[in-house]
Amino acid sequence: MKFLTLILRSLFRSRRRTVLTVASLAVSVFLIAMLQSLLGTMDALTTSAGSGTRFVVQDKASFTNVIPLAYANFLRQQPEIEQYTAFQWFGGEYQDPKNFFANFAVDPETYLNVYREEANLPSIPVEQVRDFLRDGNGCIVGQTLADRFGWKLGDVVPLRSPIFNLTVRLNIRIIFKGKRNSDETFLAFNIKQLQEAVPWMKGRVGAFTVRARNPADIPKLCERIDRHFANSAQETLSITENAFNLNMMKMLGDYSTMFHSISAAVLVAILIVTANTMAMAIRERTTQISTMRALGFTSGRILSLLMAEGLLLSLLGSGLGILMALGAADVAAKQGGALLPWLADFIITPETLLLCVLLTLGLGLLSTFIPAYRASRRPIIDGLRAL
Amino acid sequence: MADGDLSVRLRGLAKSYWRGPLEIPVLTGIDLDIVRGGYYALMGPSGSGKTTLLNLIAGIDRPSGGELEVCGFALNQLNDDQLAGWRSRYVGFIFQNYNLIPVLSAFENVELPLLLSDLGRAERRRRVLRALSLVNLTDRMDNYPRQLSGGQEQRVAIARAIVHDPELIVADEPTGALDASNAEEVMVLLEHLNQELGKTIVLVTHDPKAALHARTQIHLEKGVLDRTVEVHDRPRLTPILPAPA
Repeated sequence: MKFLTLILRSLFRSRRRTVLTVASLAVSVFLIAMLQSLLGTMDALTTSAGSGTRFVVQDKASFTNVIPLAYANFLRQQPEIEQYTAFQWFGGEYQDPKNFFANFAVDPETYLNVYREEANLPSIPVEQVRDFLRDGNGCIVGQTLADRFGWKLGDVVPLRSPIFNLTVRLNIRIIFKGKRNSDETFLAFNIKQLQEAVPWMKGRVGAFTVRARNPADIPKLCERIDRHFANSAQETLSITENAFNLNMMKMLGDYSTMFHSISAAVLVAILIVTANTMAMAIRERTTQISTMRALGFTSGRILSLLMAEGLLLSLLGSGLGILMALGAADVAAKQGGALLPWLADFIITPETLLLCVLLTLGLGLLSTFIPAYRASRRPIIDGLRAL
Repeated sequence: MADGDLSVRLRGLAKSYWRGPLEIPVLTGIDLDIVRGGYYALMGPSGSGKTTLLNLIAGIDRPSGGELEVCGFALNQLNDDQLAGWRSRYVGFIFQNYNLIPVLSAFENVELPLLLSDLGRAERRRRVLRALSLVNLTDRMDNYPRQLSGGQEQRVAIARAIVHDPELIVADEPTGALDASNAEEVMVLLEHLNQELGKTIVLVTHDPKAALHARTQIHLEKGVLDRTVEVHDRPRLTPILPAPA
């Protein structure tokens, strides 16, 4: 503690440089925290409350292809299957293509049961469920989505799909409150509308979501279903819902590698910035360090003092960056969630914060060690030049 | 003379530097005794090895050969950390350019050597204030080096050199960066430290006038001891330093 004054004063001897370095570190930590949290949020989208008991049966070649509705007959015969539902990505636009949100054509009755956790089925008033099932133009929307556009029960929502060249006018019959904000960011309506209006959709669906009675049965069910439809006109691919969601996310590109690459680049930048600052700060003090050693400071003590400076510099940058990231995460979840639905769940986890702190401290120590070690071992008379 | 009266004892001391495969001898066969409480001026032309000799005596450089005993310790036998500990207890340094730490106040600069001891905060403060009062700078203790004149900076450096009560004070051209008036003031101060506190002082100087303050002048020539001259007409100063606490 008695050296704290010396460490602090030395750290801020060039105030502008230190402040700029701390700011660079803070921005880097901010970027890493945001990127890693974004990655975590996107990965979390591939899992949901009931996903452990569900799997998806889709066309083997691509989930953008449709498969026969009649495949349901085989699913119905499997005793391990509790329920299944058919769905089709509609891709409808509301007023403007910029107002993107996920919307599906589904089988209303089975849909509510298969996704009962996400829709928080027990909390939906019975009359709303009844209206949704009775109204062929009815739809179900999440609370977050309804809030985004100011929708209320009974409102009419026109959706135009460029995929099917079709406009549907939907009556909002259920507004549900899900367990996660991102679960509330989609709309679903009766698939019969689509099958009746689009000739090539008659008797066809995009895929089935199947709910198994026991998660342990999923692998053998997938294998059995795919084997059954092997060598048919349209072979199937049965995969867990998480894997299916992951495939959907991968349409954005290999974001995981991209984010990790950017994080790595930022880390290298931190290393260079800190190493440069510490190298300059230490080189400028060659005489001072040699003087201290002449006065009796051992090489080890000099090394410790310089390392403490590097550590403190990293801690300051890391702390500031984390504060910035926490603030930005809050804004992203509140404001960004309206533009990108999945951002509604955006948070920075304690694990990400810990990762940022450990990475910055590690890099701070690493970048300080080499110049500090050299300075602490340099012959005293070289540093003093003359005594 | 008994060895116990000696502060420095050198026998056959040699120092060479290597430039690639080429050995450059700087000091050769130095035999020298420095008595405790003595005041010595190392003199000689540039390149004569006086600063190298001072560095060796102060334990911040290692000899290439010979015996080097300072304040009762054979410095050759100490490792780097032991040598650092030895310096912190037995040697006070005064540099030509003062070498104060710019981010520390005068008080904190003087306190620096004491941070290496086990002394508590109150005792450190007491000793720092006493050292600053010896150099008459108590009123400037909160000033930073940039706020002090050259003479004041050197006096702070002198306070730093004596705060831990070392036996030996080494000074390399302590007046080299000062004007005549401040230089004289510093030399008189060193003389008082020698006469009143009994410190052994070894200084390097080019200035014959400054060397007159020493009791013994040691002349080096091309790395060997040329001659030793006693300064007989050195006046006894009137004590000015406060009595030790």
